[in-house]
Amino acid sequence: MSADSTFRSEPDRLRFTGWTPLRWLATLAAVLFFVFPVVFLVMVSLKTQSDIATGGFFPTELFWQNYSDAFASVAVDLYLRNSALAAVIGAAITLLLAVPATHAMIRFKVGGRFLPGFVLATYVAPPIVALFPLFFLLKEIGLNNSIIGLGIVYGVMNLPVAFWLLSSFVRRLPVELEEAAYIDGASYFGVLRRVAIPLLMPGIVSTGIICLILAYNEFLLGAFLNKPDATKTLPTGLALYQGDRQLRYGQMAVASLAGIAPVYVLATFFQRWLIRGLTSGGVK
Amino acid sequence: MVTPMLAGLIVFAVYPFIYLVILSLMKANLAAPFFLDFSDRSLEFLADSYVGLANFSDAIGDTRYTDSLWRSVLYALVTTAGALILGVAVAVLVDRAVKGRSLLRTLILLPLMTPPVTVAVMWQLLLMPSGGWLNSFLMDLTVISQPVSFLGTSTYALPFLCLADIWQWSPFVALMTYAALQTQPADVYEAARLDGASGFRIFRSITLPMLAPALFAVAVLKLVIGFKVFDLVFVLTAGGPGQDTRLTTFHIYQEAIQQFDMGAAAAQTLLFAVMVGLITLPFTAAHDYAERRLS
Repeated sequence: MSADSTFRSEPDRLRFTGWTPLRWLATLAAVLFFVFPVVFLVMVSLKTQSDIATGGFFPTELFWQNYSDAFASVAVDLYLRNSALAAVIGAAITLLLAVPATHAMIRFKVGGRFLPGFVLATYVAPPIVALFPLFFLLKEIGLNNSIIGLGIVYGVMNLPVAFWLLSSFVRRLPVELEEAAYIDGASYFGVLRRVAIPLLMPGIVSTGIICLILAYNEFLLGAFLNKPDATKTLPTGLALYQGDRQLRYGQMAVASLAGIAPVYVLATFFQRWLIRGLTSGGVK
Repeated sequence: MVTPMLAGLIVFAVYPFIYLVILSLMKANLAAPFFLDFSDRSLEFLADSYVGLANFSDAIGDTRYTDSLWRSVLYALVTTAGALILGVAVAVLVDRAVKGRSLLRTLILLPLMTPPVTVAVMWQLLLMPSGGWLNSFLMDLTVISQPVSFLGTSTYALPFLCLADIWQWSPFVALMTYAALQTQPADVYEAARLDGASGFRIFRSITLPMLAPALFAVAVLKLVIGFKVFDLVFVLTAGGPGQDTRLTTFHIYQEAIQQFDMGAAAAQTLLFAVMVGLITLPFTAAHDYAERRLS
């Protein structure tokens, strides 16, 4: 299917039978279900500890102090920076490795039928499989407890996902343009750089955003590989709150909101790219 | 061109796997050497620590492990079914909405974008006994008179864990289904309507069969994701109460972290991988069948 047909609205005329009250209610209920936990998180972030215990939905008074306290008591800004850095390094490595490899594997059938299957199979294994070997590997090469090390791990971790997403974009690429460039005397790299990559840009951007978010959200590897405070990522920092005897819910809510804000902005801003990327692999 | 990516996968995926297989035959702790070559240290380790299949028989004999396996299977199947039902319903609703589709899509996208650790925090806040929204809501309705610790009670902990998972992942199913719906040919629907088919009949006889390949593909993905879940358990329940939400990934994590028994953890991981393969296989086959039937 072409990327744009995702958004075509032509068949609706035939399927649509109006906003019946039932359908309206069902849509409202679904939206409420998906949005409610996020809204409640915002509410909790504005409550005092005693206000939280009363269990109401709205705060009795807006307690903004949680916002300054959260950043003061846990290094939220540092964790945010670490997460963002590891995610950017990871997404860059993923794209750098996956774009040429996917192009070659789809276009020239490098590796036949086996290689694509193999790349995808590495995704099926639970990440816990790689946890301890990666721990030892990073220790051997001196990249344990570093953002760069974690970024590299994220970069490789998302390779199968990137391959899966990109391959459907490469398949839709008209081969004639590349052939014409070869006839004009372009080298393989020239074709890749001047013809294939510019045409693949929508797919590359979509894949990049998805890999960025996957790396940013990752917890298990980040928690296990980066132990010292200076290299912790945000999900690990958030899990820290759980260890407290007296859980500071308000501050935990603030830190959570600080963590999701960048992703939500990205998701809203790049909604079309995201959906295009996410759905490209599933539908043929 | 493929070489750099392959090199990456070999170093970070293939070698770790081989290492895991070797480790599963050893009595090993965190001091085990990573690069198994022909150096004295490696050979000594291999010779001294070899225990054959003992780790595997121990794993099969350990009811805490085998229970966690069945729990993970149940969890993966239930969350997949839940996400599929809810996701398809939402996709159909969005597909038929006249206005605000873009806004609907953005709102529905949010759970999927949320870090699983934050999903756990959100649901913890909703479910906690003191000040949790659900408790005060149910008490206002006088359904319950005392606050219930939903995540601390055997009957509720696993179902609510599943619910949080479904909340996060049904948007993914919805997006995939929505995209598949957009590609369905309009003339089939027109013909069915002219023949006087009812809305439900059209959904059952046309929409579902045409969606089937996409749905099975999503199901396979969601199953794998369900087996891989870790963050949610770690923050929301830490496997408790008792063993009630101790899924295999969490069990293996604790085995390796707290017991430092790398050999046992490796054997358990391999058995788990076999289990994941066995459960997803029928769904992959169903996907191929649905695709063949359609073409």
